[in-house]
Amino acid sequence: MDLSKLPEPVNLDTIANNLADAVFLVDREMEVVWMNKIAEEFFHISMQKAKGNKLAELTAITKLEDLLNEVFEQQTALKTSYEEASVKVKRHDQRYFFKIAINPVFHEEKLWGALVQFTDVTRFHEMEKIKTDFVSIVSHEFRTPLTTIIVGVEMLKEGMLGDLTPRGKEVLEAIGSDCERLNRLIDNLMELSRIESGTIYVEAEPTDVNDLVQEAVRPLRIQSEQQGVELITDLPPELPPVAADFNKAVWVLANLVGNAMRYTDKGGTITVQVRQRGKRLFFSVQDTGSGIPKEHQDKIFRKYVQVSGPGRKGTGGVGLGLAIAKDIVMAHGGEIWVDSEVGEGTTFTFTFPVYQGNESVTLPNAEQEGG
Amino acid sequence: MAKKVLLAEDEKNVILGVRTCLDAVGYDVEVVEDGEEALNSVKRAHPDLILLDLLMPKVDGFEVLKVLKGNEETSKIPIVVLTAKAEETDRQRAMELGADNYMTKPFKPQELWDVIKGYLPEL
Repeated sequence: MDLSKLPEPVNLDTIANNLADAVFLVDREMEVVWMNKIAEEFFHISMQKAKGNKLAELTAITKLEDLLNEVFEQQTALKTSYEEASVKVKRHDQRYFFKIAINPVFHEEKLWGALVQFTDVTRFHEMEKIKTDFVSIVSHEFRTPLTTIIVGVEMLKEGMLGDLTPRGKEVLEAIGSDCERLNRLIDNLMELSRIESGTIYVEAEPTDVNDLVQEAVRPLRIQSEQQGVELITDLPPELPPVAADFNKAVWVLANLVGNAMRYTDKGGTITVQVRQRGKRLFFSVQDTGSGIPKEHQDKIFRKYVQVSGPGRKGTGGVGLGLAIAKDIVMAHGGEIWVDSEVGEGTTFTFTFPVYQGNESVTLPNAEQEGG
Repeated sequence: MAKKVLLAEDEKNVILGVRTCLDAVGYDVEVVEDGEEALNSVKRAHPDLILLDLLMPKVDGFEVLKVLKGNEETSKIPIVVLTAKAEETDRQRAMELGADNYMTKPFKPQELWDVIKGYLPEL
């Protein structure tokens, strides 16, 4: 586009000053050369005063120095994750969240500086907090009535409140088992809530792989039979134990199998396979479902992302499962990825290290407060 | 003589469930429905064990723990927290204030009996 053809008074300054984002231009010394009006307003400093000052000092966001160094070294746009590029900034007693984007600026084919852009994602964080709080409140509110039900059912089952007919006992068994199911759901919701709040604590213990797989698959067997989907487990004998937090590892595997179930039609097959390669065990969940389009494959591990497309049914979820699975796998020092072809099916694979010693890992909260 | 258990809980249905559960094995149960009543009852009735909810009107369970465990006369009474608050921070806070045990709702009667028996081996 030929900018000279823009009608007066529109020019580059007008465009820069009407952006929703705060933008800074810094040189190789990371000193401010230029900034737009939004940046002046938000950081409460005029361009005249800001010029020649280090951006990290000016904004009191120390993380910027590392991020800029990364861009200068790589000479490409900042590639860190959303969490690593997010900052919490206090201004006028208000807390703002920004996502930082940095692009290198070249002059005569030489690296000259960088364009640093702050996008306000405060609203997104607020929504995320509302969701986390909601989950926490809901799980809490479920526990109290469940107590009455479980205590009552158990005492009736034990005959402590009178005799029951055989059918009465059968019905109580069913109520008891569904209470257990609800209880597990609540625990899972709480787990999500904790993970959402930023910290996962993983207690890696020697974990039997067969136990892990059976525990993850067992609750889904009935569903697979009802759905007409074959659920196969393929484990070679004598696999070594993995260093894993049993409940969290079960959660990851069950989540992947549950996803596969949602996207596989009657007559299809889901195969859970474990193989050892060196000091790692590779867990894969392969389905013959509808597959994930290539353009969505890099997005699916992000929070609140759900993939729609031909043959992909509504998931009934909130798009957190894979993001949490990734967090859990990474907290174990493992990796997770997806291979998929539309119409041919999907394979999710994750790795866990073979157990060698006792280790516990905490996944840190990546946010940093500045200003 | 039956051991005296004080149940401090404000949810009517939970009271019915827990009371039935304790009556069945022969404990002498007194129920109070807020923290203030709980403190008064401890002074008056000297229970052998307290089952304490954390979220209660007037004075919450944390405050009850603080007062009872901070007082020489009552600090030896075992206090088992029975709560829907499953967050680790709440558990830590209660344990730091001197709770003897922390049970998260929901629980099964057997789990409750086992915990109580740990403090009151004989009825």
